[in-house]
Parts: sequence; structure tokens; C-alpha cells
Amino acid sequence: MGRKKKKLSKPWCWYCNREFEDEKILIQHQKAKHFKCHICHKKLYTGPGLSIHCMQVHKETIDKVPNSLPNRSNVDIEIYGMEGIPAADLREHERQKQGSRPSNDSGSDDDEPTTKRPKPEGLLGNAPGVMQGVPNMVPGMMPPPGMPPGMGMGPMMQMGHMQHHFMHHHHPPGMQMMPAHMQQMMQQQAGPPKPLFPSAIPTSSSGGPIVGTDFKPISSAATISAPPTTNLSAGSNSEGNKVSTIATSSATSKIIHPSEDTSLEEIRARHSKYSRNIPSKTDDGPSSSSNAASELAMAVSAAQQAAAQQQKQHVDAMNHHHAMMQRFPVRVSGPPMTMTMGGPIMTPMRHQMLPGPPTLIGGPLMRPPPLQMPPGMIGMPPGMVYGGPMFPTGPVLMQPRYR
Amino acid sequence: MKSQTEYKLKSAPEGAISAVKFGPNNNQFLLVSSWDGFVRLYDVIANNLRHKYSHEAPILDCCFTDAVHSYSGGLDTTLKSFDFNSTKESTIGTHANAIKCVEYCSDVNAIVTGSWDQHVKLWDPRTPMCSGSYNQAERVYTMSVCGEKLVVGTALRRILVWDLRNMSYTLQKRESNLKYQTRAIRCFPNKQGFVLSSIEGRVAVEYMDTNPEVQKKKYAFKCHRIKEDGLEKIYPVNAISFHPLHNTFATGGSDGYVNIWDGFNKKRLCQFHQYHTSVTSLSFSHNGSVLAIACSYFLEEDQLPDPLPEDIIYIRSVTDQETKPKYVAS
Repeated sequence: MGRKKKKLSKPWCWYCNREFEDEKILIQHQKAKHFKCHICHKKLYTGPGLSIHCMQVHKETIDKVPNSLPNRSNVDIEIYGMEGIPAADLREHERQKQGSRPSNDSGSDDDEPTTKRPKPEGLLGNAPGVMQGVPNMVPGMMPPPGMPPGMGMGPMMQMGHMQHHFMHHHHPPGMQMMPAHMQQMMQQQAGPPKPLFPSAIPTSSSGGPIVGTDFKPISSAATISAPPTTNLSAGSNSEGNKVSTIATSSATSKIIHPSEDTSLEEIRARHSKYSRNIPSKTDDGPSSSSNAASELAMAVSAAQQAAAQQQKQHVDAMNHHHAMMQRFPVRVSGPPMTMTMGGPIMTPMRHQMLPGPPTLIGGPLMRPPPLQMPPGMIGMPPGMVYGGPMFPTGPVLMQPRYR
Repeated sequence: MKSQTEYKLKSAPEGAISAVKFGPNNNQFLLVSSWDGFVRLYDVIANNLRHKYSHEAPILDCCFTDAVHSYSGGLDTTLKSFDFNSTKESTIGTHANAIKCVEYCSDVNAIVTGSWDQHVKLWDPRTPMCSGSYNQAERVYTMSVCGEKLVVGTALRRILVWDLRNMSYTLQKRESNLKYQTRAIRCFPNKQGFVLSSIEGRVAVEYMDTNPEVQKKKYAFKCHRIKEDGLEKIYPVNAISFHPLHNTFATGGSDGYVNIWDGFNKKRLCQFHQYHTSVTSLSFSHNGSVLAIACSYFLEEDQLPDPLPEDIIYIRSVTDQETKPKYVAS
């Protein structure tokens, strides 16, 4: 039973029609054979990823996916493993397989309930073509009662099977005669832009990101049942942080550094142990400024603690800031003490906007946090998680191969 | 005295170690600044403490100008010098905020200080006074001298390159190629470029020459990360020290590891064992045969470890095998 199941749903590579034992190996194959940059040998994740990589990093255009069949060399189709294969090609492949191995289908009919038979369509869940219903729906055939058309995994599997059964005998002539790539082109032209990576979870369809900034495909959970919200919540958390902080943790990594974007030394210097160390009275020049600095440091840290504790209570935080502002001008008496740490941000305008720690405004860390691993990235070795190009839009940076 | 290749320095500082620097022309003397407010001079061969002098607050950096003179600055905003022969200390001048970096440029015979007051000041060792103050627009976090050039790394990931012979304008202004806060910058001894590290376990190799052909060679890589139970912990890369002869460099991270890299050939040459806590400073001796490794816990994590790790300086002999490029660059 299990063996036959596997045989039927063997993953295959759209680019070269090769079959693989499981999808992991297929993905490895695709990365090594079809998505590898011929210049720096970096393995990308998709055809479009490769093309964008070559364009941005090496300033070269790639018009064909390497090592692909002539009609399967399109670099614009985003295919990752078995995901993203045009539905027409999927059917074509299935048909050919069934044609070459006719015994499979009939032999297994009696011991397997039909609904459990996995078909590529079923595997894909609401795959683009299937989702739209039109190309895949056999004309004149109504969805079974109680099943909303094109929704959910179970019904689709069933339908997939039924269609197959049907189509096996009566293929619509037009579809049948067209070469695979023509069908696929037709599909591309028809209909609204499809989700690149179909999800098995119907509810997760709400406008997720299509492709990550580092050109890794963001695949929503096709096989893994991780709730789609984990990714989102992690992202919104770090976005929710104020400007002066670092998104130190993501789903798979954690930066061992305080979340404030200030050097470890400055943070440490605020420690009461060290602020007390600074003498209050010594001879003229150095002491006045150092004293001021320490006062300032203490004020800053006090305000910060307050802000951290009562982030929501603006009033209180404002009071602290006011206290600081009052203290600040007094200490500025000496000429050297012009604008030191946090000087310019003491304006009331700013601190209303920023109840958080009053340091570093408008830092570079406003940029979106590093791309996190989508929850359902299938078959991705854990080491690859963070391994995208470091500066997707920035200057040339090669990933050295140290290992 | 753990092994022959490595031993701990006796009478180590009683606070976090901010910097270790070997003397300019021997393997014997190591200058150490610490958050306990003392600058110490060690004889690493005899393994004893030779001298110490104090500031009124934690010290963030120190440097030798020659074998017997040191300069240091820190949270007390004061630049001090010390003569180890006469054991005489003198106050040179002040910044408006803590002095984060103290470097010596032998090419123009100047001490360079960088401060959180957003300025770099130059000091002449012969006439102990400030010979110039230059605005960097942001707090200075790290600094490195490269011949007559000065590379300054500030908050907000800015990098400024100055010519110390003519400080009237900034030679180059760059933004760090790394996404996160700059932690350390050190220049290649061959003056072609510099290495920059960030708090996010990453190191960039940069070239001075702005020619696009040369700039193409720059790159960055990930390091100082530990994967535990599927969670990758990413540590700040606190310290960089160049081997004075081979143009290879050591990096030290808050993960407690020291790696030695061949930056031109993009190879890691070796990794030492994990130290008990964060590596905060590294220094190769003048001939590159000894590496000083300062380990101090630096409050990176919200949860402080209990007990707090000791502050220890390791002196490690390194061989050419560990520090010399395996392949000659073509």
C-alpha cells in the first residue's frame, strides 16, 4: 500500500523531467543542477532567484535555466521542488506516467480507498491551476455535493482522482494536443497573478509576501502544519520595537546583544557601579565634564528604566524626560559639553514620538528585520535558513566558502 | 599554566578588560586597560605585573607610543600618559564625553583619540596638548590607524576615512556594509584595506581604494555563531587583531571563540578552543608569535550568568601554521 502510494506520487523535476525518491532530494537536485550560479557557484532557490542574483550581483542576464529541457527553460516560473509546476504540466506528466505504467492504476484500485490516492494535484492542495478551477475542472462536471469548489485539501484530492479517471479516457482534445509549454503559457496569460507557492492551508491566503528580499521563495506551509501566524507575529514584534533597537531574535536565530542599538560599552557605562566610580569633585577641567557626563548617563538610564517599565504610560515617561531636560541645560554650562550623547533628541517633539530609550534616532535598523524562515519551508536543511545574500540590494558581496 | 602553548596572566584586572596591546617591538610587555579603572603593564614572559596606574573611572582603551610610554582614556573623559621608566603619569587633555579609542600613529607621530562626544582629537606627544579636534557626526565606537590613514567607525554604522596629514576634510565617508552596529575596525598591515566586524556575528573585508575594480573584491562573511537546538545564537565580534607579517587576522567574539582568518583568500586558518566567556580584546605581538586574548563577560545577555565569569587574559603562542596563508594569493 505504502509503496504503491509512493510510486504514484514520486516527485519529479519540472526542468529535466527526472524523478526522485523524495522531494528533499529533488530540491537538492534543483539547487545543484538548475539554480546554481555559473559565476560564483552560489546555489539559489528558484529560477527567478537565480536570474535576479545574476542580474544584481554579476550584472548578467540569464535567459535559460541551466541544464533544462528546451521547453522548460523559463526563468520566470518560480518552481521549488514540486511546488509551482504549472498544472497542465503536472497533468501531462501524470498522464505519461500512467501511460507507461498502466498496471499501477488498475491494480491498486481495490485495496485502496479512492480518496486516499495521492495525486500531484492533491499534494499541491489548492495549486494555482486547481484553485482557479477552470482549466482543471472537467466541463460539465459539478463539484460533489457539500464540497465548495476548489477549497480544501480533501476535496481536491478526491476531485483530482476523479478528474484523472475521467480525463484518462476522454481528454479534452484542445488541451491534449497542445505541447506542454504552450499550455503553461496559456495558463500564465490567463487569470489573475497566482500565488507562487500554494498553500495547503486555505486560511493563509491573505496576501502573504511573494518572494523574500533575498530571493528565497517564501513558501507557506504545504506539508508542515505550522500555523502561518508564527512568522507574522515574529515579524510584527520586531517591527513593533522602537527605532533605537535591534531585532535581536527571529524564529531561528538570536543575536546575543541587548536590544538597544548602543554599544556594549555605553550600556555598561550606565551601570550604577561605574557611574558612582566617577568622582564628583576634582580639579577643574576634566571633572566638570565628566561629572556632567555621568549625570547625563544616569539620567538617561533612569529615563530608560522608566520608559521600559511604563512604556504605555506616556505621562510618566514624559515627566522623566522633562526632568532630564531640566537637568541637562544646567550641566551644559561648560563649553566642552555641547551636544553629547543624546543631545539632539531632547526635543519635546521627538520624545513624544518615542517613549522608548532616548538614544539613537533614525538608525539604520529601521530597515525590516532580517528575513525569517517561513514556517513551512519544506526540506530546507537548517543551515540554510539564514543563508541568503547578505545585502540583497546592496553592493557586491560574495559568500566566501570557508568550509 | 594549562599547557605550553597557552597560559593565564597572573594578577589579572579586577574588572572587565577593555583592551590589550602588545608593545611595539617586543613580545614581553602587554598593556591592559580595564573597567576597574587601572592600566596595567605586564611582563608576559616572567608572567608578572610590572606597573599600574589609575584613572578615576573605567578605562576603555590604551596604547603604546614607544616601549616605555602609554596613553589611555575612558569614562573619565581624560587622556592620560604614563612613563614606565620614571613611573610618572600626566594628564594630557579631555574630551567632552568618554574616550572610547586611543591609537598611536607613528607615521605622523600623533596620538589619536575617539570619543562618544563625536570627535576625534589629535595629540602631539612632544607638547602634551591637543593639536586638532574633528567632528565625526556620531559617537566614535572604533578606530584604526593604517599608515597615515585613520579609519573611524561610529554609531549608526558610519565609517569615515581620514588622512592624518591633512585633517581638513574627510577622505571617504561610507556606510557599513553590515546591517548591524559596527563593533570593531582594524586595518590590514599592508594598508590595502580594513576589516570591520558587527554585533551580528559578521565580518566584512573592505578595500581602501575606491576604484570599482578593487571595490568588487570586498565581501563579508558570517562567524561567531553557535547553533543550539535549532536556534542560532549570533554573537558580537568584539575584537580584531592583525598578524603583523602575514596580513591574516584573528577575531574574537562573545561566543568565546577566537578564529584566525586569511582575508585575501577567504579562508579560515584555525579556531582555538572555546574560552570561558566573551573575548573582548586581542593583540598579536610585534612579530606575530604570541597572541594575547582578553576574556571578560560583557553584559551581552539580559540574564546575567551566575557567578559572573572571571576576567582572564590568556597568552597563547601561535605558529605559522595557524597564522600563515596556506596558498599564496595570485
